Amino acid sequence: MSEEQKDTPPTDTQPGMSKELDAKVKKYLRGDGINLEVVKDKKLKGQLAVREELYGKSASVAANAEKWLLPSEGGYLEAEGIEKTWKIRQEAITQDVGISSQKNQFDIVLQDLGPYTIDFTPSGRYMAAAGRKGHLALLDMNSLNLIREMQVRETVRDICFLHNEMFFAAAQKKYPYIYNRDGIELHCLKEHGAVLKMQFLRNHFLLSTINKLGQLHYQDVTTGLMVNNYRTGMGRTDVMQVNPYNGVVALGHSGGTVTMWKPTHTSPLIKMLCHHGPVSALAFHPNGHLMATAGTERRIKLWDLRKFDVVQTLHGHASTLEFSQKGLLATSSGSRVEILGNFSNPNKYKRYMSHSMAKGYRIKKVLFRPYEDVLGIGHSMGWSSIIIPGSGEPNFDTWVANPFETAKQRREKEVRSLLDKLPPETIMLNPSKIGTVRPFSKKEKPSKKERESEMEAAIADVKDAPMKKKTKGRSKPSKVANKKQEGIVRAKRPFLDEQMKEEEAIAKKKQKLAEEAELPKSLQRFARKQAT
Amino acid sequence: MAETKDRKRDRRRSGPSSNRSKQRKTMNHETDGRRGRKRTGPRLPNALRRGLDLLNPRKDGGDSDGDESINSDVAANDVYEYEEEVPQEESRKNRRFDRVENLEYHLPDHFEDEDVASDDDDGSDDDEVRGEKGGNGSDEDGEEEIEDEANHLRMLQGITGLPSEAFQGKKKRKLDVVSEAYPESEYNPTQDVLEGEGRITVQDLLEPLQGGAAFGELRKRVSQIEKNSMTMHAPLPKSDREKLERKVAYEHSKKDITKWEPLVKRNREAPTVFFNEDINVGYSTVGAIASEFQPRTEFEKKIASVVYDDKIMEAHKNDGAKLLELNLTSVEDERSRRERIAKMRSLLFRHEIKQKHIKKIKSKTYHRLMKKDKLKAASAQMEMDPEAAKEQAMKQEFKRAEERLTLKHKNSSKWAKRILKRGLNTQDEGTRVAIAEQLNQHALLTRKMNSMRNNSSSDASSDEDDDQSGLSDHEVASNLLAKAKEKTLKVLDEEEQVPDSGVLSLPFMIRGLKKKKDAAMEEARLALEEYELSAKQMEDVHEAENGKASSSKGRMVFGAVKQPASKSNSAPKTQRVVDDSDYEEEVEAEGNSDVGMHPVGTLQNEGHGDMTLHGLVKGDEHHVFQSFGDIVKDPGPKTTYDVAIFASGSWRKPLKNSKEKPEEPSTKGSKQKQGISVVRVGSLDKDPKGASEDSGTDDDEVEMIDGILSNEPRESYELPSQDELVRQAFAGDDVEEDFEKDKLEILNEENPEPEKPVLVPGWGQWTNVQQKKGMPSWIVKEHEDAKKKREEALKKRKDANLKNVIISEKIDKKVEKLLTTGLPFPFTSKDVFEQSIRMPLGPDFNPATAIGALNRPEVVKKSGIIIKPIKFEEVDPHERADGGAMGAQKAASSQKSKSGGKKTNKKKEVAANKR
Repeated sequence: MSEEQKDTPPTDTQPGMSKELDAKVKKYLRGDGINLEVVKDKKLKGQLAVREELYGKSASVAANAEKWLLPSEGGYLEAEGIEKTWKIRQEAITQDVGISSQKNQFDIVLQDLGPYTIDFTPSGRYMAAAGRKGHLALLDMNSLNLIREMQVRETVRDICFLHNEMFFAAAQKKYPYIYNRDGIELHCLKEHGAVLKMQFLRNHFLLSTINKLGQLHYQDVTTGLMVNNYRTGMGRTDVMQVNPYNGVVALGHSGGTVTMWKPTHTSPLIKMLCHHGPVSALAFHPNGHLMATAGTERRIKLWDLRKFDVVQTLHGHASTLEFSQKGLLATSSGSRVEILGNFSNPNKYKRYMSHSMAKGYRIKKVLFRPYEDVLGIGHSMGWSSIIIPGSGEPNFDTWVANPFETAKQRREKEVRSLLDKLPPETIMLNPSKIGTVRPFSKKEKPSKKERESEMEAAIADVKDAPMKKKTKGRSKPSKVANKKQEGIVRAKRPFLDEQMKEEEAIAKKKQKLAEEAELPKSLQRFARKQAT
Repeated sequence: MAETKDRKRDRRRSGPSSNRSKQRKTMNHETDGRRGRKRTGPRLPNALRRGLDLLNPRKDGGDSDGDESINSDVAANDVYEYEEEVPQEESRKNRRFDRVENLEYHLPDHFEDEDVASDDDDGSDDDEVRGEKGGNGSDEDGEEEIEDEANHLRMLQGITGLPSEAFQGKKKRKLDVVSEAYPESEYNPTQDVLEGEGRITVQDLLEPLQGGAAFGELRKRVSQIEKNSMTMHAPLPKSDREKLERKVAYEHSKKDITKWEPLVKRNREAPTVFFNEDINVGYSTVGAIASEFQPRTEFEKKIASVVYDDKIMEAHKNDGAKLLELNLTSVEDERSRRERIAKMRSLLFRHEIKQKHIKKIKSKTYHRLMKKDKLKAASAQMEMDPEAAKEQAMKQEFKRAEERLTLKHKNSSKWAKRILKRGLNTQDEGTRVAIAEQLNQHALLTRKMNSMRNNSSSDASSDEDDDQSGLSDHEVASNLLAKAKEKTLKVLDEEEQVPDSGVLSLPFMIRGLKKKKDAAMEEARLALEEYELSAKQMEDVHEAENGKASSSKGRMVFGAVKQPASKSNSAPKTQRVVDDSDYEEEVEAEGNSDVGMHPVGTLQNEGHGDMTLHGLVKGDEHHVFQSFGDIVKDPGPKTTYDVAIFASGSWRKPLKNSKEKPEEPSTKGSKQKQGISVVRVGSLDKDPKGASEDSGTDDDEVEMIDGILSNEPRESYELPSQDELVRQAFAGDDVEEDFEKDKLEILNEENPEPEKPVLVPGWGQWTNVQQKKGMPSWIVKEHEDAKKKREEALKKRKDANLKNVIISEKIDKKVEKLLTTGLPFPFTSKDVFEQSIRMPLGPDFNPATAIGALNRPEVVKKSGIIIKPIKFEEVDPHERADGGAMGAQKAASSQKSKSGGKKTNKKKEVAANKR
């Protein structure tokens, strides 16, 4: 799905078109075709060839349809001459954008209720804001209406939407609570404890939280079942982010390590040492392969998660990090927001824009609004919204997220998404591995003892099998005995064959090793014979 | 030999035909002379043939028996059935079966002669005629001879009553000479006629027809045939012929079938086969089908006319029930029926009862087993229940009395007597065993009952007891001995008497018994000697009871001295203790104990014993003890030094600032020891004992010190915690090292390090040589292998080259179910398979136009459509079937095609139709 949203500039009907179209087709082919020359089986080869052809057709049709399905093109700031993009201020942008975009620049000042965290629905239409001092607010960002506002009179540390704007969870002083859109408390999730940070896994309907004790909880919000909880054993942390690509939860710890978790694995899938100081922020690129981490030792690092290698290291503090849909990286420290990005070379991040709030404002959270070129900033004096050109995805897929969703659509989508809910075990580092052949594991190979016992069991089975009573001397004792013996031999055979094969393989291996270990031929005569 | 038959027949016939037979005979002789050797094939010996003749004597019914004689011939020839090598048609013998033809035997002579002449038309007849004339006299002589012999034979037969073959010994050879299988006739031409010049040609056959109606035409045809005549080859054997036929058929059908190949190939390669032709399936309900019925045949029409007749319909409507009148039945019929039924019922009932009875009958084995069970149960009950036992005893007693009265089993039966009369040794094993068993049973039955014997024996024993009570102890013993001896001897004698018969009388059994007996005798003698000896001793010492229990040796020594015994008892104890440890250690321990003891001086004896137990403790501890000894000897500056040594562990090092601290308690402790040591060396020893029991490692030192100098180690543990505190305070400083440590831990957890091979003390150290060798090589090798394996596993890990990353290799079992266990069938390569499933097939991920083709099933078919067999159509074999749909039935034109592939297919179909 996500691939279909990807934006490509509209195709003009000129020579470059075929090339562009090829690129698109390639995108929709989702990888290389099968190398049919390898396939020996003629029938399979034929079948696969037919399949590939169909895939090709499908891809080309999809590529051709793109120009109608993905009409909009994202824009971005371009500097002229000695101008620098990061020098362009919000006021300058205001003049150049339309009225509908101008309303996205605002500051809401709420002095007393202290640093705000914010969250957007996946469509970007609704925003939830939570002030530390207990202020919860739900807003419609299209009309800029306040839907609901309430004061819980408790510390609120985090807020996040569930699958749609109808429900949201707030991490309060002792426990997280789930409220509905009208601000009615639906659930109190006592098992989670004093949660510092929450994330909702949209495809799996899991609410994952990390609490003060460093315990990671996964709760299924559809059934209310606690899927799992793990003690990270790495101390208290409030750095937590879900990888949108695969649903793996990453935690940043004080030891400079980042651990990645999934609900069906007791130990972290990945534990990597990212920084020398404590990890202060963490973010994932929407494609899931790029991770940004910030450490207190003034480093921001970009990691390639396929190689677990640093791609780029930047200097600077960051208390929050956030990737936009198009891959821009927002960092904030103190009262300053910096946007990193590069439209010409997406792998090399450099300063793209910057924005500084009034002095004394402490930024708590930055978050790009989906499908809009907007960055929401939650800070100690309320929340703000600024325009970052080129940050949001210009085309939306109504099946994925619809900013103009009607109530009926929302309801239908809810049902649909519930039907498509993924079980928690599908969370893995590489979800494309689902359905592939299970890798050979050592445990599958039965030990010698097991095999022997198996063989014995098989033999015993044959021995105990009742013989048919036959006439005309065919069930003479001798015949019966012969038959039994035959059966035993037959039962033994596969085991023995296997054993032999194994032995042969081992012998071959040994020989190979011995050959490798041998001295060069010229020196062999000087080798001392082993005393045995 | 047919001839001989003929002759007999002729003679019996006695009359006009004899002449003819003579003639035939002469002819046969001639042919014999010429072709005698050519005859092949088995033939019945003459004697047998004659026998056959005798068995089926011919009815000599005058002239008219010709056909019978021929029949007998046939019978004789039946024996040679297999002579059919040459088909009968060719041998021309077949017609002799024809009765009508054989009637010629009755014909007058001249006619027959004529016939012969016509047979041998081509000149050979002259010779025959001549021979016939010339050889007449001699032939008659021979015939007379044979006749005489036959007469003679018959006479002999009549006298002796034995079959004639018994008297025919020498005649066989004579008769061998004359042999022609078949009487010569028109249908059995002589050999020369068959082979030589005397062949009958078509012309010969045509001649008599000359001048006939269609003669000219016939001759023309014959000549035509002769002109282009060809040799006919013999037909091939059937199997070969069939093989060829099959081959040809195969070639033909192969050619026929190969034309289907492209068609079948196309269907096979097609991803989807369509059977979508729109067909009117027809009526759906039975009523609909029935309403459409129209009478067609005569019968149906008739029925319809009757059924739909207006009158009948109306009548039925009015009163349908009246149409069926009640059938009248007579009283007799009803009665007879009832009777019949009653009879059947009674029969059935009886049969049922009989069956029930039969069903209840149990088999022999069942009864046998039942009996066994009963016996078992009875015996069990007897054991349990005294009442039952009593009853049983009564029964037994009764039986015994009966047995004694009747002597039923004492070989008194008729059978037994008979056998005994015949002699037991002449009988077979089974009988002997049976007899023995019977006797055995008798013995069993007549045996005195337990209770009675008990009474008697108890009486006797009581008597004996009484006797013994009167006597002194040793006398009693000697009495016992004597009795025992007597008894054993008696038993032996008895045993000698028993094996006269039965199994025990077998030689090997006897031998075995003898051996046993000898052994028993030997034993008895030994026992006697012993007893005698003991009896002698008994006179000296009173305590004879002790002697009974143990062996003579032990007893000899025993009563004499008690103190050395106790010593010896304890001696092995100490030895054992020492054995456990090494020799040197033992020495040391002794030294230790000395050390411990000397200063103390007045140590109790128990303490001494305890000190020996020091041997248990290992060398290290002995040093400790030594030092303790030193401590005990001269407490002073040395103590601190020693304690320092003890304390010098890894944890001792950072203890610089608090150097004085440990000194105090140690000295204190030593001081305490000074005070206490004199009194409580033993108690001191207890600690190390416990320690050594726990383990033999160096840790013991610490523990021991724990035991003695309790203050010190606690203080020493405080420092690491401080260190930790510092580390915690500066957390994040040394993250890399920590991480490395973590990684190592996780690696060890996931690929555990192999255990270091450890020698179990005492194992493999029996000799010096073994000690020098050290670890057994296989253990070392195994360890190394395991190490190597681990290293390889570590190398294979994904994070092997990533210093700062730990990738968990734990297998998630829940994920396993999302993966395929093996490659699905046609795939052989993992890559190919994984690439083949890379594309999503759902409607969310594919344009609507492609989804149908991507997800179309192999066969598209409407329900209810009849799939017709494939029809032939021309298919271009080189044309690629492109994803299209085909099938025996093509997609009907009304079918809306969804995909491009289908469209092309339709086009193709059209093309095929045009063709």
